[in-house]
Amino acid sequence: MSDRIKHLYQRAGFGASPEEWALLQGQQFSTALEQLFTQANAVPPLTVASFEDLAEATMADRRKAGRLLTQSYALEWLDRMADPSESALLERLTLFWHDHFACRSLFGHLAIQQLNTLREHALGSFRDLCLAVAKDPAMIRYLNNQQNKKNSPNENFARELLELFTVGRGHYTEQDIKEAARAFTGWGSNYKGNFRFRARDHDYGQKTFLGQSGRFNGEDIIRIILDRQESAEFLVRKFWDYYVSAPVDESLIQELATVYFESDYHTETLLRHLFSANWFYEERFRAGQIKSPIVLLIGLRRTLDLEFGKPAAQTRLLRALGQILFDPPNVAGWPGGRHWIDNATLMLRLNIGAGLLSKRELDLRYRNQPELEILSDPSTRKLDASVTLQALLNMITGTDLATDFAILTDYLLPGPNRVDTENLAALVDNTEGEERLRRMLLVLFSLPEYQTC
Amino acid sequence: MKRRTFLKNTGLASAALWAPSFLQQFPGQTNGKILIVIQLSGGNDGLNTIVPYRNDKYYEIRPDIAIRDSEVLRVSDELGFNPALADLQKLYDEGWLSIINNVGYPNPNRSHFRSMDIWQTASDSHEYLTSGWLGRYLDSQCSGCESPHYALELGQGLSLALKGKERQGFAMNDLQQMQRTSKNPLLSYLGQQDAHDHEHEEVAYLYKTLLETQSSTRYLLEQAGGRRTRSNFPATAFGRDLRQVMELILAGNSSKVYYVSLGGFDTHANQNGPQGRLLSIYAEGVKALADELNKHNLWQDTLVMTFSEFGRRVAQNGSRGTDHGAASNLYLMGGSLRKAGFYNDGPDLTNLDEGDLKYQLDFRNIYANVLDNWLGASSEGILSNRFGDLGII
Repeated sequence: MSDRIKHLYQRAGFGASPEEWALLQGQQFSTALEQLFTQANAVPPLTVASFEDLAEATMADRRKAGRLLTQSYALEWLDRMADPSESALLERLTLFWHDHFACRSLFGHLAIQQLNTLREHALGSFRDLCLAVAKDPAMIRYLNNQQNKKNSPNENFARELLELFTVGRGHYTEQDIKEAARAFTGWGSNYKGNFRFRARDHDYGQKTFLGQSGRFNGEDIIRIILDRQESAEFLVRKFWDYYVSAPVDESLIQELATVYFESDYHTETLLRHLFSANWFYEERFRAGQIKSPIVLLIGLRRTLDLEFGKPAAQTRLLRALGQILFDPPNVAGWPGGRHWIDNATLMLRLNIGAGLLSKRELDLRYRNQPELEILSDPSTRKLDASVTLQALLNMITGTDLATDFAILTDYLLPGPNRVDTENLAALVDNTEGEERLRRMLLVLFSLPEYQTC
Repeated sequence: MKRRTFLKNTGLASAALWAPSFLQQFPGQTNGKILIVIQLSGGNDGLNTIVPYRNDKYYEIRPDIAIRDSEVLRVSDELGFNPALADLQKLYDEGWLSIINNVGYPNPNRSHFRSMDIWQTASDSHEYLTSGWLGRYLDSQCSGCESPHYALELGQGLSLALKGKERQGFAMNDLQQMQRTSKNPLLSYLGQQDAHDHEHEEVAYLYKTLLETQSSTRYLLEQAGGRRTRSNFPATAFGRDLRQVMELILAGNSSKVYYVSLGGFDTHANQNGPQGRLLSIYAEGVKALADELNKHNLWQDTLVMTFSEFGRRVAQNGSRGTDHGAASNLYLMGGSLRKAGFYNDGPDLTNLDEGDLKYQLDFRNIYANVLDNWLGASSEGILSNRFGDLGII
């Protein structure tokens, strides 16, 4: 199969499952690319349970119940990412938006509603997405717009809208933030999760924002910011980090910013351009992305068809590695790249394969967070999962070690393997069938190269 | 030093070829000073820790949870310790403890996560930094500190405080687990692979981190096995962490900064029991540490700084607990404080900000003094503002 398709599937999704890998052999690149978008545009919206249906369960101890519900939605989302029949492109893009519009959701019914909003507009217009997020109850609570009232404005949402969500520092003044905050006064939500415009809290007065004056409301503010090409440039820099993951090439940033701006922020247009560009597949952009904990976990799930004895063990693993869905470190999202790596996370990452394949115990206790330990099932402290290896066995010869290492390396690693696998043959020696495969996989999952894509 | 033993123990004749530079040169140029940071996670209620037992307002708005004045361990006309802090009072009496009142920052954030980030990165309230204040110290000011274990965190993960832009501290797990990891033959083999000039920078970075982790792990295992202290550290996780710190210090470990956490301070309901238990765990631990360091004439070279991400609401809530607040007190301990006792008057309970104490002193001022006066660094470039000398450290 072409190297291009492999790179595309790794970056636009979470890497191909062995079955997908087999189907992709010999396929045209353009067909494979089209397939990703066709699949993404065909998915139905999420089922969002209404607050009334959840109320009974949530009333007893709202906080705890809300938190457990958020966790169960996070696990469901992981399942969707790992399911080859779902759209990997859409799920990975939704994860991008979840990182971009970073929001901590304490209440499950608000978390799933926000996720559905991000997913619905993921490939569509950023104008629509940004406005929908401004009206999203979880975000309204997280950034205190609930408290943003005519007589006592709260600037939190307005500040982050400008600094982190649209145009970035250097393109507005403190006064612009104050004026924008006035325009969003009265934008609130109720606990059920409905947007509520509270007219008596709204400031209908004249505002001057980014040089324009009028009786602006929140919608006007978003329109005015996105009319600036600097916003498109700010956004494509974030796409660059997420999908290209390399030091910026300014001329390519300008190319992408122009595409995004001229399409009036149509995200599908931008991504089609990116994934069709020859430069995206150049050697300098390969293996330059340190997998996020979620990309790492989902890749393993797809490759090994993992079934977890206790799915919540994934939450512990992801927390130890630094990435919990619906719980980013702050409104700026996950810093990513080398920030994922320290001595503790690296050793855990390099041992996950062993934990899954040889039952080596991974200790996932929340040692310094007794509050979390109380909320969690102690039996999830170990990563207990079953693997299904048949599809991988079909991929290899089963006899010739060098050939099989080459096949698996090609499938699992972003570039050629520089470790001399001959030296590791002793680890595999005298085994056959599934055990032989397990040992080969254990070697490859332990390589630092596997942590990149 | 035991470099020769170290090389022998690895059983690899060629070790010197791939051992990182720190093992081949003189260990970090330290000024002999040790900093131990203790993080009380969850937001410790400072008002019930250092109690304003003469303040009627305090008893008025905390009818169920105020510490009765008869129970308070009085140390001044206004303030006294929570009864669980008898051991801390002993340090106070020796002149080894400085309590700084009303420490905080402008526009306080009441989320645990965000406020902890602000304390760990030393950022402004509206600023999002991805490196920690001690990490930036390792980056630019800690000469000879290439190896990660110069700043050591006791715990499973590495806190943002110890992550710099270039360099990072080292998270030290329990020793048995480190032992197992370091003996993994596959990872040992990979650590020796010459992948540092890998054409992909991120892959090279991961190999470098792997190698440093293995070197530091071996070094720390050797150090940790070196000295046993017989003194009585409390049999709590926190006590064990402090014992570990003590043993590493006694073994002549080259770490300059130790980072230890004690969690569970998020006392929204029925707080007095749990908070009292945590405070006594804390006080017993630091007392044992101070005694032992003193015995070895090391206490005068040690500074212990204890903070929490915020204090709690001044008024109690409906469930005999307290909600997230803002400013609180911070404790400095050591054998060579320039000024012990209290810094700043006790909290003003009548002049509040949304029900929370107002800060008088920016926590970054204390960081600046730690960096400038204790670690011999220059806080400029590590912190965004310049701060004056408080005369404590």
